Amino acid sequence: MKRRHFLQYGAAWGAALALTGGAVAQTGNAARVALTIEPADVEMIDGVSVFMLLFFGPNGARPVLRATEGDVITLTVRNNDARTHGFAIPGVAGATIGAIQPGRERSATFTAPRGGTYLYIDPTLAPVNRLLGLHGAFVVAPRHPATPVGVVTPFSRDAQTTNVRTLFEALGASERFPGHRWTPDRERVWMFSQTDPALNVRVDAGATIDPRTVVANFAPRYFTLNGRSGFDSSHDPATRASGYIGEPLLLRVLNAGLATHSPHIHGNHVMELSGVGPDGAQVVRDNTLERDSWTMAPFDRKDMLLPFERPPDIPPAAYPMRQEQFPLRYPMHCHIEMSQTAGGGNYPQGLITDWEILGPSPPAGG
Amino acid sequence: MADDDIFAGTAQAEELTFATFGCDVFQANPPTPDRLEPDIRFELGVRHGLKLPTPDFREIEVWRFDWEDRPRTNAWPSPTLRMRQGQVVHSTIHSRSNTHTIHHHGIEPTPVNDGVGHTSFEVSGRYTYQFQANEPGTYFYHCHKNTVLHFEMGMYGFLIVDPPEGPGALFSGGPRYDVEKLWAVDDFDPRWRELDDQAGLCGEDAGLNLFNPKYFGVSGAFAPNTNTDPRAVVRARGGERILIRLLNGSYSVLRTTLGVDAMVVGVDGRGLGRTGAPWSRPFAIPAGQPFELTTAQRYDLLITPPHAGEYPVRFEFLNWITRAVQDRGRGVALTRIIVT
Repeated sequence: MKRRHFLQYGAAWGAALALTGGAVAQTGNAARVALTIEPADVEMIDGVSVFMLLFFGPNGARPVLRATEGDVITLTVRNNDARTHGFAIPGVAGATIGAIQPGRERSATFTAPRGGTYLYIDPTLAPVNRLLGLHGAFVVAPRHPATPVGVVTPFSRDAQTTNVRTLFEALGASERFPGHRWTPDRERVWMFSQTDPALNVRVDAGATIDPRTVVANFAPRYFTLNGRSGFDSSHDPATRASGYIGEPLLLRVLNAGLATHSPHIHGNHVMELSGVGPDGAQVVRDNTLERDSWTMAPFDRKDMLLPFERPPDIPPAAYPMRQEQFPLRYPMHCHIEMSQTAGGGNYPQGLITDWEILGPSPPAGG
Repeated sequence: MADDDIFAGTAQAEELTFATFGCDVFQANPPTPDRLEPDIRFELGVRHGLKLPTPDFREIEVWRFDWEDRPRTNAWPSPTLRMRQGQVVHSTIHSRSNTHTIHHHGIEPTPVNDGVGHTSFEVSGRYTYQFQANEPGTYFYHCHKNTVLHFEMGMYGFLIVDPPEGPGALFSGGPRYDVEKLWAVDDFDPRWRELDDQAGLCGEDAGLNLFNPKYFGVSGAFAPNTNTDPRAVVRARGGERILIRLLNGSYSVLRTTLGVDAMVVGVDGRGLGRTGAPWSRPFAIPAGQPFELTTAQRYDLLITPPHAGEYPVRFEFLNWITRAVQDRGRGVALTRIIVT
C-alpha cells in the first residue's frame, strides 16, 4: 500500500509549504543535505488532482538547496517511491547518484561550484521523472561576490564580466537607479515546468514508458511556476516579487520542463545577466541586454535583474501619481500563451505571477 | 469624480479573488486618472471578422484594431502607432462589443494604463490609456483579454517610438537608416477560428493548450506569397541602410536566417549603445547564421548590403515542445531583400 502526500495549494498559500530553505545543515565548509523522493497527489489550479513525484526536504516539497561556493556537500537521497530513482545536478561534477532502489538511500559528496543557479533533477528515464516533478533549484552563493571596488554581485569575482560589474556598481549610485545596491536577500527563484496528466497517470499505473516517445506525445495541460499556477502563483510569497523603487532584485529563472517559454514582464525591463553554455556550465554575459521578454528553453537557467526602477513610461508630470496609488502591481507571464491556460482554458491560470512596487523609494532606515 | 469613485469595480479598489483573476474579471470604463493633456492621440476600435484569403483558396479570420476617427485601413496587422520620444500619448480603446483591452507591450506605465484585466480592468466601452513614450524603439500593442486567443486572432499592431527628431534614426545619436521594414511574423491555427471570444474563460476545456498552426506569414502575407508580396519583400538601392523591425508574433520559436550580414542595434524597445546603458552594445549576426526569437521578442536589424542583388531570408516556425518545424515541416516562410 502506498502512502502519499496530498498537496493542496489554493487554500494553503502563505503557509510555508513549498520552496523552503533549511534542507542544508552547515558546519564550517562541510554541509549535509537530506532529501527524500515521495509520491504525492497534487491539486492543480482547476481542482484536478494529479499524481506527481517530488523531492522533499525537512520543511516540505520542492526544497531550494543552498550552499556557498567551495562547500563540501554530502547529499543523501532516500527513495520512498516504489520505482527506482536517481539524482544529478547537470554541470556539477560529482553531484550524481545512480540508481536508488525503492526504500533505499544513497549518498554523494561533491564541492559546491562557482556562485550561481543550478538545477537538480532525477535523470532516471529522462525526461519522465523530471516531468513528474522530480526537480528543484540549487543556489550557490559566491565565496567572493564583490567587484574590485567592493560592490556585491551574485557572481564570483573571477566570473564577473566588466559590464555586469558596471551594472551592479550603478545600482543605488546613479540617476537611473537611485536607492539601494543589490543585496543577496533580494532574490526570487522561479522554477518553470509543465504537466501532462496523461503521462503521470501512466506512470502511476505502473506502465512501462519508452522515454524516447515522451517528447513527441507531450501535451501539457498545466504550466507551473514553483509548482503552482495562475491565482496561486500570483499570491505565493515565495514567488511574488515585492519591494520599493530602488530595491533591485535578482530573478533566478529555471525551466525543468520540455516546453520553451518566453516570459514577459510588465512594468520594468529586466537585464539578462547569465545563461548556460552548451556544456551546461554557467555563462555570465558581458553584453547585458535589457529585455521585456526572454527565452527559457528546457534546462535553461538564467539570472535576470529586476531593477525596481520607476516604470519609465509614467509621465514625469503625473508622478508621483495623485489619483492612482501604490502599490503598483504588474504581471509576469509567458507569452507563448498556450502556457496561460489550465485544463485547456481558464486563462490566465497558467505560468504567471504578479510583482509589486510598494512605494517611490525605500523606507528610511529600512 | 472623487478619486475613490474613479476606481470602483477595478483592481485598484476591489479585492482580487480567484474569480476576478480569471473568469469574472474586473470590467470598467473609468476616466483616466492623473490625466494630462496629450501630445498625440490614437483612437482604436475593435473589429472582428476580417477574412484573409490564403494561398490555398481558403480564408483565415482575424480580429484587429482599426482607426476609429480616421478612414479605416481594413488591413491586418492593425495600424502602426507611431509617436516621438517624450510625447504624452493617449491611446483610446473602443471595445464596441464584449470586453477588450490594449496592452502597449514593452511600454511601462502605471497598472491602470497597462491593459491587464486582473491588475486593472477590461474595457466594455471606452478607456484612454496614458503614457509617455520615453525610450525610442520597437514595440507592439495587443489585446490582453483571454490573450491566448485574442493575440492569436490577430489583435495586435506595431508601436514605434521615434527619437524626438523623427524617423531616420533608431534613437538620437544612434544608427541611421534610409529604408525601414516592419516584419510581424505570425502563424495561424484554423481550429482556433471556430472559438468564441470568451472561449475557455470559465472552466471549459477549449483546447487552448494545443496549438497546431497551418498558415505562416509575414506582416499579413502568407507563405509562399511572402517571397513576392511587398508587405514582406524589402527593396532598397545600393548603399542604402535598411532597418528591419522584426517581431515574433507567432506561438512558435522563430528561427530566422538572413542571407546578408546584420547588426542587432535594438532589442525589445531598447537601443543598444545608447547612453545610460553602457552594459549593452550592438552585436553582429553573420549571413547564414540562424538566430531565434521567442514570442513577443523584437530585434532591430541594421543591414547595409555590400552590393546589388537578392538576399534570401528564411523563417522557420519551430514547435515549442518538439522543436520540429511546424505542420510536418511546412512551417517555413521565405522572403527576400532586393537591392538594385
